[in-house]
Amino acid sequence: MKIKTLILYAALMVFLVLTMGPFAFVINSSFRDNVELYHGYFGVPRAFRGMGAAAMQVARGDARAMTIENSEGEARAVPPREALGHHARLAVLSYTRAWAVIRPYMVNSLVVSLSTAAGVLLLATMTAFVLSRYRFFGSRLLFLFIISTMMFPGVLTLVPGFLLVKQLGLLNSYWAMVLPYMAGGQVFAIFVLKSFFDGLPEDLFEAARIDGAGHLQSYRHIVLPLSKPVISVVLVMNILGTWNNFLWPFIVNTEGKHHVVASGLYVLATSAYASNLSTLFAAYVLSSIPLLILFIYATRPFIQGVTSGAFKA
Amino acid sequence: MGTKAGSILSERMRFTLSCYALLLPSVLLLSIFVYIPVLWAFSKSLYQFEVGGESEFIGLRNFGEILWRDPIIWPSLLNMAIFTVIAVCIRLSIPVVVAKLIYSLPTERGRYYFRLAFLTPIVVPGVAVQLIWGGLIYADQGLLNELLQRVGLPQLAHGWLSDPRTALIACAMVGFPFVGGFEVLIYYAGLANIPQSVNEAALLEGCTGVRKFFMIDVPMIMSQLKLILILTIIGGVQGFEALFILTRGGPGFRTMVPGLWMYFNAFSFQRMGYACAIGVCLFLIIFTLTLLNIRYFRSTEELEGVR
Repeated sequence: MKIKTLILYAALMVFLVLTMGPFAFVINSSFRDNVELYHGYFGVPRAFRGMGAAAMQVARGDARAMTIENSEGEARAVPPREALGHHARLAVLSYTRAWAVIRPYMVNSLVVSLSTAAGVLLLATMTAFVLSRYRFFGSRLLFLFIISTMMFPGVLTLVPGFLLVKQLGLLNSYWAMVLPYMAGGQVFAIFVLKSFFDGLPEDLFEAARIDGAGHLQSYRHIVLPLSKPVISVVLVMNILGTWNNFLWPFIVNTEGKHHVVASGLYVLATSAYASNLSTLFAAYVLSSIPLLILFIYATRPFIQGVTSGAFKA
Repeated sequence: MGTKAGSILSERMRFTLSCYALLLPSVLLLSIFVYIPVLWAFSKSLYQFEVGGESEFIGLRNFGEILWRDPIIWPSLLNMAIFTVIAVCIRLSIPVVVAKLIYSLPTERGRYYFRLAFLTPIVVPGVAVQLIWGGLIYADQGLLNELLQRVGLPQLAHGWLSDPRTALIACAMVGFPFVGGFEVLIYYAGLANIPQSVNEAALLEGCTGVRKFFMIDVPMIMSQLKLILILTIIGGVQGFEALFILTRGGPGFRTMVPGLWMYFNAFSFQRMGYACAIGVCLFLIIFTLTLLNIRYFRSTEELEGVR
């Protein structure tokens, strides 16, 4: 029994190491300079070794001067404390460079993802609420009209969608991304939310009505609080999708001013930066941080949401 | 009497109208940004035109070109089929095994943290993952070649994506070992939803280990397997972003797929009408597969009844 558990852990660790391996190399390489990377991917960053040696001297109170090299390769003797700072700056050099390049992309990504998510939240809760709670002439047809769009794959609408956005004069603007994302993204959200609202007991709304609550009040004080977990899963999915979308931003930003992180990274990797691997890797790491924050914040409800079995055919 | 009935009617009318007003933003956005492109996809596939140029109605000639004259379409369809088959084989096997391994862990903590760990890679943008595989792992001076040299197999080291013999399989292997993402979570959910009574009955019958996995677990998570199957097939037919980033269809047309060919026709050759026609064909493939799926894949629903 004990051995079986051990084998289980060992097998899972092998899978985990293989999965994380490439990312570990990216992170490690982002702290090394391009000369180091030219000689191979294995190895501790030189800056880290320098930091280690300097820190040792500082800790021991050893005040002997240390040799550091500037970017031209000229050696200079400095006190250990200064050497420590020098190596620390070298370690994060690629990050400061990468940040300078991708900061505008990050801002664009944030603007696009957050406004899309806000729009989807507003549209989807409202539409799903109306379609779920009220029966009126044409309500079924409208639901069908909305849900039917799920059968059109992105590959069908990519080229004509570009032509449309161009015709509307929206190329090279946030609108070119936000409006189509909102239009497409709301459908899945409406679908999930409507089936959730359908499951809410009618008594709840009956009671609210008796207490004199209007439609808007029962929406705000009953539906929204009860559906927080569902809404958060839907929003996380939406932000993930928007953040990762590469092709659409790449196509509609013909002038390159509104590139988001995804399309920006591709532009970087195919530009003059292609040979500056260290900076590129730092950019990959930085570009993962916003979703990492979202991940840390939203994992528990998310794992529960997916694990509850809502996702099956 | 008449006026009262009229006022009730008008109230009903007003209610309906206010519902319409609330649905208007959703419906309007969908009409403009989904339905118009869909209609355009079909209508423009009948034209020959470039952006800003004159368009000429040519009937079904674009489709004729796809079927008979375009030398790239059929090889790229074959590539697409190969990629899709490989992806299906991978996504229906390895993540299931890993989900089962996690589910078999003795503690709830262990199960949670491993699920968390395998989900973490989703924070890395897909583009970055492709760029990492193309620029770090498969590169000429890349990790894979360095690894081969270190283990004493330098003769195997070569440009994985630039060698026509290995480009296809190298692209298909991007993401190895294919367990960082949602699949594990979805399969895990399926395993967790197997009723305890079934597991106990299996134990009583002496059905354990590998035998239980194939006789009980796999049939019981059939609906999850089916979901991943459909998603993988649809993704295989329409997906081309990864190949765009990794190889741009090269070397030659060795890793070209129809979606990527559509992209090049539209945005490199400015043949918008022809690109729309390719898009329509891919849609028809996906639509047919979806219909087949609805028509013939009902058996899992019967299994649901067991629960």
